[in-house]
Amino acid sequence: MTNNPATELTSKEMEKAELLYQQKRTAHFEKMDHMFMFLMAAQWIFAILLAVLYSPYGWEGKQKVFHIHLYLAVFMGGGISLFPILLAKFKPGWIGTRHVIAFTQMLWSALLIHLTGGRIETHFHVFVSLAFIAFYFDWPLLVNATLVVVADHLLRGFLYPESVYGIVNPEWWRFLEHAFWVIFEDVILFWSCFNGVKGMRENARRQVEVEGLLESNQLKTAALEMTLAEMQTAKKA
Amino acid sequence: MLQRWILILAGIIWLAACVGGGTVLLRYSSTAGERGNTLSQWPVNSRIAQCKDEDTLVIAVHPHCPCTRASMVELNDLMLALKGKVKAYVLVMKPREFPAGWENTDVVSGARRIPDTTVVFDLDGVEAARFGAKTSGQAVLYDEKGRLLFNGGITAGRGHIGDNPGLQRIISLVKTGKADKNDSLVFGCPLNAKFCPLSRSTLENAPKGERDKSFSYLNFNKEK
Repeated sequence: MTNNPATELTSKEMEKAELLYQQKRTAHFEKMDHMFMFLMAAQWIFAILLAVLYSPYGWEGKQKVFHIHLYLAVFMGGGISLFPILLAKFKPGWIGTRHVIAFTQMLWSALLIHLTGGRIETHFHVFVSLAFIAFYFDWPLLVNATLVVVADHLLRGFLYPESVYGIVNPEWWRFLEHAFWVIFEDVILFWSCFNGVKGMRENARRQVEVEGLLESNQLKTAALEMTLAEMQTAKKA
Repeated sequence: MLQRWILILAGIIWLAACVGGGTVLLRYSSTAGERGNTLSQWPVNSRIAQCKDEDTLVIAVHPHCPCTRASMVELNDLMLALKGKVKAYVLVMKPREFPAGWENTDVVSGARRIPDTTVVFDLDGVEAARFGAKTSGQAVLYDEKGRLLFNGGITAGRGHIGDNPGLQRIISLVKTGKADKNDSLVFGCPLNAKFCPLSRSTLENAPKGERDKSFSYLNFNKEK
């Protein structure tokens, strides 16, 4: 097998390879949608448990009330998870499904950060989520997710800067500092996405090439068998 | 067809949860609690001993306020940053009708681990009221001469750990004697103490028996 099998393929085989690649890519998207369907449900359960165990009640002096985090975990968590779960169930592999999933996954980061009181450890969820999204091998999803993070910082930076930067009057460019680390990871993830796509395409080509070789071998075997049969007939005669 | 309508409905719920939930979350985190008026001088009737050789920080907390965990984390950072320069008291509010042990929460155990800090149990929040504290996490800083230097919170939002203006201002005031402002917003559950808000006159007008009972409950933590 040569290093560049594409050069050996006929145009018909290339078409077949492209079709195979598209089928494999769709199957991969469906598999990823399915994985995220379970992840969304797991994050919802985790958020409820977190709220129940970490901050179930708020207090107003002597009065005990359910903490707002509990309501947010149940209703906001459920509200944002339900749509991607149903899309993954009913429309797996559709482009809209994975974009809703990517968007929602970043919302989950924001919600979990709030539920844990801004713990620095929970910010890892942002970076882990980006890596999970990158497994789709579809770079526009990373753009989607990154824009959610940047928009969240920009919006909160304008409305309520202390919550993002810890100071009252941050410079206008402060959001770029936070976005930088996300983009820093994105660079490698983009590269991985392109490599992943390239690998899938190459696998499809190789499969077509192997299938072509097998077909050719089968033809040769059939021809050989026919010749042998003819020879045996001639010998008997 | 049914599937399509289910997806449309789920999409609407998703949009509402994104916008509505986000707004509630932001509003909850950014809504500051009420900050009471604090006397410009150390309250003369306070049972807490004001330090004469270093600054004194008093922070009033509700032991069951989940947001106050963040205040304790920030207080720990503050005391580490100002080691040997400031003495802190954590006033733990305890309504008298609640059973003994109600006040022993992770907020209090967290406070006990903070260096140069004494935990004080405060029946009905009488002592907190003397310092004008109305919201859990409200901190007041006095210098060695008993002059008020700072009044405010030490978190950037409700239950939010991280850099915040209150913390920066206290550090600046203790280290350099100046800061851009002498207050900050307070984020936490309302203390809602019986006498809160207490000006000196309100406290003096409170029934004597009530005041005495409150004072008797004050329990300075001997572990520190």
